[in-house]
Amino acid sequence: MAEPDAVQTFEDGLGEIRGAYAEALRAAGDEPELRLINGRYVGPQGELTKLLKLMPKLPGDRRRELGQAANALKQEIQATFDEALEAIHRHAREAELTGSALDVTLPGRWQMPGRLHPITRVRNDVLAIFVSLGFDVADGPEVELYENCFDKLGFPPDHPATDEHDTFFIQGHRSADAESVLLRTQTSTIQIREMMKRQPPLAIVSPGAVYRRDDDATHSPMFFQLEGFLVDEDVTFAELKGVLTLFLRRLFDEHIAVRFRASYFPFVEPGGEVDMSCVFCRAWEGDRARTAQCRVCKGTGWMEILGCGMIHPVVFENVGYDPEKYTGFAFGMGLDRIAMLKYGIPNIKLLYENDVRFLSRF
Amino acid sequence: MLVSFRWLQELCPVDADVAEVARRISLAGLEVEAMEEKGRDLSGVVIAEVRTRSPHPKRDKLTLVTVFDGEDEHEVVCGATNVPEPGGRILFARSGAVLPNGIEIVPRTVGGVESNGMICSEDELEIGSDAEGIFVVDSNNGALPGTSVADALDLHDVILDIGLTPNRPDCLGHVGIAREVGVLFGVGYKPRKAAGPQRAFAAGGSFQPGEPTTRLTSLWDTESETVGTPELPAVSVEIADGDRCPRYGAALVSGVKVAPSPFWLRYRLHNLGLRALSNVVDATNLILLEWGHPIHGFDLDRLRGSKVVVRRATEGEKMPTLDGIERTFTSDDLLICDGEGPVAVAGVMGGLESEIRDETTDVLIECAYFDPRSIRRTSRRLGLHTDSSYRFERGVDPEAIPRVLASAASLIAELGGGAAATTAIDRVATAHESKSIRFRPMRAAQLLGMPVSTDESLRILESLGCRIAEQSDDAITAEAPSWRPDLSREVDLIEEVARVHGYEEIPTAVPRVHPSETGTPGLLKFIDALRDAAVASGLYEAVNYGFLSLDDLRKARVPADAVALANPLSEERSVMRTSLLPGLTAAATRAQRHGATEVRLFELARTFQPSDDKLPREDTVLAIALAGHRSDWIGGERPFDLYDGKGVVQAVVDRVFSQAPELVPGEMPSFLHPKRSAVVTLASRPIGFVGEIHPDVGDDLGLIGRVIYAELDVPVLYALAEELGPTQARGLPKFPAVARDIAMLVRDQYSAGEIAEALREASKGLAESVRLFDLYRGDQIPEGHRSLAFRVTYRDPEGTLTDKRVDKVHALLAEVASDRFEATIR
Repeated sequence: MAEPDAVQTFEDGLGEIRGAYAEALRAAGDEPELRLINGRYVGPQGELTKLLKLMPKLPGDRRRELGQAANALKQEIQATFDEALEAIHRHAREAELTGSALDVTLPGRWQMPGRLHPITRVRNDVLAIFVSLGFDVADGPEVELYENCFDKLGFPPDHPATDEHDTFFIQGHRSADAESVLLRTQTSTIQIREMMKRQPPLAIVSPGAVYRRDDDATHSPMFFQLEGFLVDEDVTFAELKGVLTLFLRRLFDEHIAVRFRASYFPFVEPGGEVDMSCVFCRAWEGDRARTAQCRVCKGTGWMEILGCGMIHPVVFENVGYDPEKYTGFAFGMGLDRIAMLKYGIPNIKLLYENDVRFLSRF
Repeated sequence: MLVSFRWLQELCPVDADVAEVARRISLAGLEVEAMEEKGRDLSGVVIAEVRTRSPHPKRDKLTLVTVFDGEDEHEVVCGATNVPEPGGRILFARSGAVLPNGIEIVPRTVGGVESNGMICSEDELEIGSDAEGIFVVDSNNGALPGTSVADALDLHDVILDIGLTPNRPDCLGHVGIAREVGVLFGVGYKPRKAAGPQRAFAAGGSFQPGEPTTRLTSLWDTESETVGTPELPAVSVEIADGDRCPRYGAALVSGVKVAPSPFWLRYRLHNLGLRALSNVVDATNLILLEWGHPIHGFDLDRLRGSKVVVRRATEGEKMPTLDGIERTFTSDDLLICDGEGPVAVAGVMGGLESEIRDETTDVLIECAYFDPRSIRRTSRRLGLHTDSSYRFERGVDPEAIPRVLASAASLIAELGGGAAATTAIDRVATAHESKSIRFRPMRAAQLLGMPVSTDESLRILESLGCRIAEQSDDAITAEAPSWRPDLSREVDLIEEVARVHGYEEIPTAVPRVHPSETGTPGLLKFIDALRDAAVASGLYEAVNYGFLSLDDLRKARVPADAVALANPLSEERSVMRTSLLPGLTAAATRAQRHGATEVRLFELARTFQPSDDKLPREDTVLAIALAGHRSDWIGGERPFDLYDGKGVVQAVVDRVFSQAPELVPGEMPSFLHPKRSAVVTLASRPIGFVGEIHPDVGDDLGLIGRVIYAELDVPVLYALAEELGPTQARGLPKFPAVARDIAMLVRDQYSAGEIAEALREASKGLAESVRLFDLYRGDQIPEGHRSLAFRVTYRDPEGTLTDKRVDKVHALLAEVASDRFEATIR
């Protein structure tokens, strides 16, 4: 049953909504408000929804026409809503992009990594260079037999060459017998162990802790050395120079000068020590005045960095290699010393105190 | 070893300054570690003449002296008692002069008298050790007032401090270093004859008939006045142990007067680090520094029986050495004895009774060669390390004995105003044999990597004192000089050629390295990976000493059956660690004392366990310690607990294995809290443990707060890594997952882990994971209970799950929870 008033009400309703919705929607300040206002028109209880509920009451001849008008209005409202919503979003984005910045100085939120000990860092740097040259890494026990630490390396019995190796012996073993047990005083023991195990060609580096009975401002009773050696047919001193020069330049600076001095270690001959340009006054840069005042190199421009030489034939004999067939070179360095040079560590004791304030620098 | 450059230049003049000489010898193996110029810091100190001297008007012990310094007269107050008569000359520091010790001389008033300048002692100028009185210039010295003291006393010198390697005993004297300089600068070196003594006598009856002697006159380069042979009991020398004493020489000087040495000698000894005593002793020291060969002077009068016997001690034999200490010997020690008993420890130190004293007039000078190993053992056994033992244990030149005796006899006679016997006893028990060494220039070239010519090699070897015995096309046979005990095989000569030639002349080459098939052992790479994982997980690496105290082990309740040191530096470092716990937790505590609030440390190192093998077992262990509070700027802070320990262990292992380990209850080491610790397992295999340190242990170790500690067994982990192999990829799921939560109230006795596992098992293979996401205690939860909430992720690999199917399985899980764990599902 059609009600003529219904048509009137419907038309009036549409007119009212049409006149008001746009302004109302556009006035919304944010998205919830917009949705609230939108709901007043098109929500379940919205005015337009209510009007649409009158549809069955409209006369049949008008129903289609008025229905279309209502739908058109609904679409207009939707379009206006979308537009207003986009404006609100754009405005919010605009405000975020132009408004106040986050306080970037607040601490980050993540578990930070820890730190490697400086000796490990240096050890890794040194190993990386030698590994890239084709050397293998090896290790061996810290508690050793006298014969591996001294006899087989060619230290003559009762010889002053052992004076620099003030040795810790294990209880019940004080003598210089081959079977005496001690804390190794040098990583050169690895030469013996590896050569007894394997046949040339060999190219090996071996880092590790060593022990000597020295404890003062510049000595620690435990410290770290790295031993390296290469054995093959026709290995020459020239190659020893080549490898160590390359190594030092890669480790410190490609411009440093390197010089070889004669020296003595029982297990190498010819034996030598290697000096490099002082890395504190950067002696290779040639600033004489700066070098003259350098307390680290005492104005000489040089600092001692490692010991080296051609493996002594007596060592080959002791491990069962033919010294006429094979030659080789060996070198050793103090990783503590390199760490101290590289990181400007003033006192060796700092390396073993494990003070977190110190460790956190690396 | 301290070396006078001045003396070196006297022995082997070269046309090079001290810096160049130092550089060359350093490169050749005699490393100059320091240089000190002498006589340079004494500007403002001059010779002055005493004009008047009178007592100080107010102070008894002081003298007023007027001195003339070549320009003006100055009045000086002097405290010394040996101010010479007017006309005598002294060393005067003018006002404004700065003494070597840094003191500046300024006018000052002493007892009302102004003193302008200072009259100096040797000690004040650091030109000697005499601090007793002022230095009085010898009347033989013609220096005029005003002459600088450095010029007047001839103080100019440079002292080189050379760090000698133990293979070069030949360089433990100036002659040896001069020889080396001569070789390196290509000027050669000929040992010069000693100046002869003024007066000499034929030994005749001074030596027992039949004593083998050597003539000293041919080693003196000046004629001596012959005086009558003094009436002395005849001396004899007997060597009872020819292995330990292959050669023994003795020279005789008679009629000496023991007195202070002249200044030049005292000054030289002072600069070279020895204290001047008296002319005879100073002479023996100067000979030591010149030849590197220790000699010893005996007072002949006190040599009972006028006899020298070189023999081994009897077990327990005693003698006081000249430092006043009674020494007890073993049968391995070599003694010098007279007719009745020991008078010296051979090569180490003289005896107290036979030493030179002021009344000594006749001196028997010993110059011998002792077996180096014997001297070394005795010196070490007695803890007596002297300039003499230092040289003998490295090996002196046995053939130099006549020369050294000639020099010594002449010098002592000269300084003491005595006469020297023209011959000396020279007893040889075992003759020195020079070693023949074959040298192949080709071999040298091969080893050095540069051409080595025969001619050049010959030149170098000869300049070093080698005698060329044979020479063929491809080899030289050289005899090593007696002063080079270090030369015995070909490679020794190759080093000599390289060294003299200069290492800098050897080219630089790159070797062809044959990298191995195996590369670095996997375990070593694995250890590095673990270390990196620990750092990536937020831990700082600690490095502790391998030794600690037994007490540390006991307090930490780790095995105290440890490898002990025979000669530790201290009790604190006397046994090898059996665990990383004491060291690492101590480091954590120290860090906390230094104010660190959040300590996260790890150590990857070895422990040492006694074993029945020759060597102890060395186990590589990764230990972790967490101490203090974990802080977060928004979350506040809370003390580290077991779950931090678990988390970090999982993070470390996961990084290496791409799989996190689990914790299971098990038997725990006694240093961990029995209720707050667990065994760490990976793939159901135990790999270590983690937990809170037992509070009693924490108290004993003095730890601050509750410390979390974990250990992982590295070899076990590595074996597991090898066994598991690389992680294998898995195909991605084709069908979607459905997540459902289940919350329940359960008694504390049931662990979250076992419940989760039971739920997973009950799911008929549909639960892909069961993860705890909430744990709650408190209001509305009965005592002894907790609320656990799990998120179960269901997935059917074969198809899409329907809600209905999930509901059914999920209900089953709830049933299992209530049946098996008495849970109330919430």
